[in-house]
Parts: sequence; C-alpha cells; structure tokens
Amino acid sequence: MGKLNTKVDERGCLACGGCISICPQAALIMFGGRAFVREDKCICCGICIKTCPIGAICEVD
Amino acid sequence: MEYDVVVVGSGPAGSVTARFAAEAGANVLILERRAEVGVPVLCGEGISQRVDKWDMLEGKRWIASKMDGAKIYSPNGTLVTLSKEVAGNETGYVVYRDIFDQELARRAVKAGAKILMRAEVTDLLKDGGKISGVKVRQFNEEFNIKADVVVGADGVESKIGQWAGFNTILKPGDLETCVQYTLTNVDHKSDYCEFFLGKKIAPGGYVWIFPKGKDTFNVGIGILASLSKPGMPLKLLNKFISNHSDLKKGEPVRLLAGAVPVANPIETVRDNLLLVGDAARHSDPITGGGLTTALEGGKIAGVTIGKAVEKKTFDKEILSIYETNWKETFGKKLHRDYVLKNILLDFEDKTLNMLADSLKDYKFEEFSTLSLIKALVFKHPTLLMKLKPLLKLSEKSK
Repeated sequence: MGKLNTKVDERGCLACGGCISICPQAALIMFGGRAFVREDKCICCGICIKTCPIGAICEVD
Repeated sequence: MEYDVVVVGSGPAGSVTARFAAEAGANVLILERRAEVGVPVLCGEGISQRVDKWDMLEGKRWIASKMDGAKIYSPNGTLVTLSKEVAGNETGYVVYRDIFDQELARRAVKAGAKILMRAEVTDLLKDGGKISGVKVRQFNEEFNIKADVVVGADGVESKIGQWAGFNTILKPGDLETCVQYTLTNVDHKSDYCEFFLGKKIAPGGYVWIFPKGKDTFNVGIGILASLSKPGMPLKLLNKFISNHSDLKKGEPVRLLAGAVPVANPIETVRDNLLLVGDAARHSDPITGGGLTTALEGGKIAGVTIGKAVEKKTFDKEILSIYETNWKETFGKKLHRDYVLKNILLDFEDKTLNMLADSLKDYKFEEFSTLSLIKALVFKHPTLLMKLKPLLKLSEKSK
C-alpha cells in the first residue's frame, strides 16, 4: 500500500476557500478557480476533508 | 508598474478601500484573480439597511428585496419574531451580490482606481525585508507591481496575511462551512429572513431562508467546521429542503459554497501592509454577516491610506490608525459576539427551546443581537451570571 494522498475533486470544487483557510500546513492553494493540495506540504490530517461543505475532498491511494 | 496602493481582491472590502484611498488622492490598482467582479457569488446576500446612510451604493439595482424582519425557529419549531414594526423599521435587504460588488467597484473606478482582471498574486515583493509590492501572474505572463501599501482583501483564505507573517489559519471551531441554493418556483410566502436552529438541523450554525423576490429564495446552511463531517452541509441542507412543505416544490437555479470566519478579529497592520474584510476576520461570529463590517472597515482603511500617502509615510505606526478605528467602530462588537458564540454553543437544544418559548411574544426594542441578549437576561435572571460579561462588552461596544 502506498502513501495516501489528499485530493480535491476539481469538477466538484465550488471555490469557497474554506479548506485553504483551516489547513494547518498551508498546503492548499486556489488556482484557476479550484482548490489544490500541495502534496509536498500535506500531512494528510483530514481537516480539509471534514470541512468541505460538498464532500469534494477525499483521500486516494 | 508602480502604484501608491495595490489592493488584492475586488470584493466589498477591497473596492471600498480602493475608492476611499483614491478619493484621498492615492494612485490605486485593484488586482482580481477571477474573470468577473463578484462572480461566483459566495454569500447568503443579506445586509442591514444601515447601509442606506453610508453613501456606498448608488441606485437600487443591487437590491433583490427588502426584509420585514427576522423569524428565528428554535429546534422544536418555537418562533421568535423581530419585526420591523417593533424594530423601528430598520431591518435588512437581500442583495444581488454580483451587482452589489460591481457597483462598489464602479465607485472605486470613478474615484480613479484601476483594475486588472485575471491577475493572481503569487507572492509579496520584498526589498531588504520591507514589503514593496506584489508578484503577479496574468495569463502566461509574470511580473512585479511595486506599491507603498499592499492591501490584503483576499477573503477567508487570505494568502497575503500568511505571507506577511500574520497567523491567519483558522481553527475548525472558528469557521462556518456553508452551502446555499437559490430556489425558484417556491410556494412560500415570506418577507422575513428566517433562521432555523438545532443540533440536528445545523450543528453549531443555522439554516436560513432569505426572500429574493417573487417565488425565489436563498436557502442555505452553515455548520461549524469542528462539528462537520465530509459533505455534511450539503446533505443536511438537502434534508431540510425535502422536509419543508413549501421549499421541496422549488428547483435550484444556483448552488454555491461558502466559508465564513466566526473568529476573534486579528492583527491587521504591518509596515506597508494591511488586511481588510474576511481576510481580517471582520465577520460577525454570531450571524456570520460580514458585509457591513467590510464596508465600514474598507472606508477606514482607505481614509487611513489617504493620510499615509499625503505624509509619504507607510509604516505600521501611521497605518495603525486603521486598526484603532475599526476596533472602536465594530471590533468590540465582534469580540462580544465571539464570546456569545462560545456560550451559545454549549446550550442544549432543550435550553434553546425553553429560551425561545419565553421570547415568543416578546416585543424587541431593535433589530440586533444585543436586543436579543437583553431580552434573554430580562427573562432569565439566572442566565445573567453567564451573560453578564457580555452586557459589559455590549456597553463598551456602543
């Protein structure tokens, strides 16, 4: 099993910015009207996953 | 490119800051990363009618409807009403936020501000440690813009604040995570804004129904992020609508998400830089409303920058006039409501039901959170012990 990564579903994201505002690692950025996870900074704490109001962030293999 | 002031973000706080700085003679540029000011809307679109007295918006095109008051439903459905008859006629508007924002941007431009669209700020520009402008990416080009003052009006996720060294990261307990439908063809007659409380309805937040004119309503939900689960706001909002006899016949013409700081306000000033609006956490921790504070704070920021440009001094000391004045104007009230938020979060549903029951025929003296607190203390002297610090804060915040 490889390392889990946190991913934003780019077709789902509505660009509210909530995940970016609460990420303790400042690992999320807004780009082209969608949120993106910077894998080099993400520690997979899951706070953004819980926060996304439409469930557009999840962990993937 | 070189300006006196570069404002990052063309929301209400950014445009109003830009306008008042430009009116004071500053050379101002607004940077907007989106392709249209005000779009997409990220807002419940309610605002107090106090805005009428402020000369911020011309015409009426930005107004969708006028509210007759507020109806607050406790978890078991007990209704508390704040109507315009008892609230001295000053209630609120529901606005079209895209037109609202574009009108504020128009006033900034009329005052002399320039706007660059699709211009994304990628970092602060520093000159020997001193903030001296911003790095920008627009289409395929990257370039620097020099400025004496950088204004972070970049919203809840403010990067400008982070880059300037402010601790802007919100705790999940200080953020409301929201979704909203605009529903049309709704068979619901109401000129009130309606709020629904309860742990099963919206943990640590509320559901709102705002009339947008005719048969159209904004129906949204905010949940405290610390109490939320993945996708919970959307699921609970769908459930609320399907259980509501009037709303379930409606169809959505818009779905939007939002994130609202319900935090204590933060430090807002550095040498050559200040934060306004949601970036400064200038939204009310009880209601989540942030439009009036964005406008008031933006004006104070713009006027302060005007003085700084006149004196050709841009250090923290001169820009701190902004921080002193916003604290005086609304900072104490935001702090009071932050304390109140944390008290309310401890209340069980049955306590809210009991409180609502005691207020159901109450005639409120004004349309405000303070008026609600006063009524609660009047009806429940035992609550006084818990709420007393709030009344002290309220006196200070007048």
